[in-house]
Amino acid sequence: MLSRVAESLFWMSRYFERAENTARFLDVNFNLLLDLNNITHAENPNYWIALILVTSDRDRFNELYQEYTAYTVTDYLVFNKENPNSITSCIGLARENARSIIESISSEMWEQVNNLYHYLQSVTPQLVQNDPYTFYKEIKNASHLFQGITDNTFSHNEGWDFIQIAKYLERTDNIARLIDVKYHMLLPELKSPHPLSEEPMDVVEGSVDIIQWMAVLKSCSALEAFRKVYLSRIDPDNILRFLILDRTFPRSINFSVCAAEDALWRISGSSRHRYVNNADRLIGKMEAELSYTSIEDIYSKGLHRYLEELEQRLVKIGEQVHLTYFAYHTPEIESADIDAALPFTGISGGRANWSQAQQHQQQQ
Amino acid sequence: MSRFFERYEADPASFFDEVISKEGVPRAHYDKLLHRFAQFTTEDIRARRQIVNIFFRNQGITFTVYGVEEGIERIFPFDLIPRVVPAHEWQTIEKGLAQRVTALNEFLKDIYHTQKILKDKVVPADLVLGSKHFCREFVGVNPPQGIYIHVTGSDIIRDGSGNYLVLEDNLRTPSGVSYMLQNRQAMKRAFPVLFEKYKIRPIENYPQELLRTLQEISPVSRKEPNVVVLTPGIYNSAYFEHSFLARQMGVELTEGKDLVVNNNKVYTRTTRGLERVDVIYRRVDDAYLDPLVFRPDSKLGVAGLINAYRKGNVALANAIGTGVVDDKVIYSFVPDIIKYYLGEDPILENVPTWLPSKPAHMKYILENLGSLVVKAANESGGYGMLVGPESTIAEQEKFAELIVANPRNYIAQPTISLSRHPSFFNDTELYGCHIDLRPYVLYGKTITIVPGGLTRVALKKGSLVVNSSQGGGSKDTWVVDE
Repeated sequence: MLSRVAESLFWMSRYFERAENTARFLDVNFNLLLDLNNITHAENPNYWIALILVTSDRDRFNELYQEYTAYTVTDYLVFNKENPNSITSCIGLARENARSIIESISSEMWEQVNNLYHYLQSVTPQLVQNDPYTFYKEIKNASHLFQGITDNTFSHNEGWDFIQIAKYLERTDNIARLIDVKYHMLLPELKSPHPLSEEPMDVVEGSVDIIQWMAVLKSCSALEAFRKVYLSRIDPDNILRFLILDRTFPRSINFSVCAAEDALWRISGSSRHRYVNNADRLIGKMEAELSYTSIEDIYSKGLHRYLEELEQRLVKIGEQVHLTYFAYHTPEIESADIDAALPFTGISGGRANWSQAQQHQQQQ
Repeated sequence: MSRFFERYEADPASFFDEVISKEGVPRAHYDKLLHRFAQFTTEDIRARRQIVNIFFRNQGITFTVYGVEEGIERIFPFDLIPRVVPAHEWQTIEKGLAQRVTALNEFLKDIYHTQKILKDKVVPADLVLGSKHFCREFVGVNPPQGIYIHVTGSDIIRDGSGNYLVLEDNLRTPSGVSYMLQNRQAMKRAFPVLFEKYKIRPIENYPQELLRTLQEISPVSRKEPNVVVLTPGIYNSAYFEHSFLARQMGVELTEGKDLVVNNNKVYTRTTRGLERVDVIYRRVDDAYLDPLVFRPDSKLGVAGLINAYRKGNVALANAIGTGVVDDKVIYSFVPDIIKYYLGEDPILENVPTWLPSKPAHMKYILENLGSLVVKAANESGGYGMLVGPESTIAEQEKFAELIVANPRNYIAQPTISLSRHPSFFNDTELYGCHIDLRPYVLYGKTITIVPGGLTRVALKKGSLVVNSSQGGGSKDTWVVDE
């Protein structure tokens, strides 16, 4: 298939998943604050900083807002068009990508992207503030509906595989960020406003608020699935084991990496014994390591360092997917030395407006 | 006669009516149609209208209107009464178009090589060489098989006595053929019985004929030459058509950034690497094709494409620089061009045309602006024109200034009362609407014209402008064997 079509499918899917994850973070934070209302300082800006840290957007946020409050953080993550990762921006970009390949996707998929886009145009900050639960549920359901429609109306060929790769790479990245930030938030001393700048801690210890850990699980829709495995033993070890290493839960890191690997290998024909390109090699390596890693291995490395490395490796895989399938093919680019390859440029994904005016050329 | 046609006022004294003759009786080739419509009630018509609307909406058949807010897409208005063209009339059109296109291709070959016709002063050299669309970069280049105009859409009208005249030629990227095909599909769904009663010549093979034509001009001989459609992109008004034709032909729909030139060969960028391209059916204007040769700011083109083309490694349909014939000033010389190259009289006449660049004509034009149609030489889509009888004095004065300032850029023609065809208003009442006809001529190893074309209808009462961007609609066109 045309590289452009593959790339648009990839980014359409990736932005949709990103929007869903942002909705999840916000939703859980609101619930968490309700739970904590009588227990601790719900006004503590640290609870809101965490959300900005998850999206690695501190600098941009600080340019736009004075303080971390429910209102500013929600505005930034849901509505702000200058934030390319806000829910509104993500769905706008998903729609732009879908629109540019409208003849390649099913009309039902287009309808669903379009519906969500128009729904978001009609939502006001007031509405989200009054009833955050309904709003975030709407976003999550819209994303689930889109995936269901895609599975049932779009041929499961190469294009579908690109959709899967994007979805699971994005999801893996989001889970890793969420765990990383929450882990630091939940340390006994909540003193530093810059948790990520701290030296990585080796072991979590001390008393941990069960409610907060439950919130982490909830934001991954994982609480019920977790209980079925670990009953009510909600402790950090089990939670990390579940969210990072479980092979069957669809919002765990291991599951997502496996799913991305399957899709990548289907496209290229790679197998367990033979990889065809660097993207396949890197995802295979990550999957194998996850399969044979224990939670103790992770602790001995330091959780923060482990997750940080994981995120960096995900970026590398994204780069390789870009170079292998979307970028202009030259032998030089396919060098074995990945670090020497071209930098990853596909992050914008969306289609710029420059081309509109020229495309309007008259037709006879 | 049907209840609809009983109330229909043809006004054959003022206009040529396609259905009702001067004597006030239906023309023979419409008999069966009128008989069938006589059986319909208003509810029947509404039900059929519903079928057609659903069909168009589901197919996503829309066009984009410029100048209005972004993203305004409209369904192209469609009239339920088909136009019937008897075979003997079609034969004239077919022969006339084949003659015209052959001569125009010779003309293009000539002006981009020896320029004999200019030296013989049949067409003034300054008009050709100074034309906005004359492409100096293209002089001396030999397109595959010597063919320049692989797809032509000439607009044909009928005057007050029913003669078929060519109103203008579109030799660059004529659009609308997807509507022709979809109109037929819609009619088959809505009026299956009528199709049994007429021997209607099929048009459904157009995409295959187009693909065959495109493969025939492939510069590289291989079993299945790789053809792609090149579109400016999703914001273009005809994007639906580009996508439709690509799907119908089973070829890739590409944008400029999908193509890459390496070593003077053109490739598509795919997830499996580069794939060689042999023929590009491009719906992008010359000016945007290659930023290295034409507009350097073009983001729609492919750097190096023109060099690949010059080297004969890829074919472009249509060739570059064909727009010089679309220039309405050059249009006025087409009858001379036909005589010059073919030694024949034109089978299809032109509309009489005055050129402001000739002093005598200029005087006439300025004195008669109220009754003439003035057109800019290089606009299309109904933009940049003055319809004298419908204009205000202020508009006429504005155009007079424009013409005097730049006589080369304008032409004037008498206001032809285009033939009229009964068309529905609100599915209850028939009204005579002005129509034209755009057949599509394919030129590969042979010339192929699918029988029919797009009949455009000026659905505003009394309006003469049939362009879709100006509120026009269309109807199905049946070439029938008697």
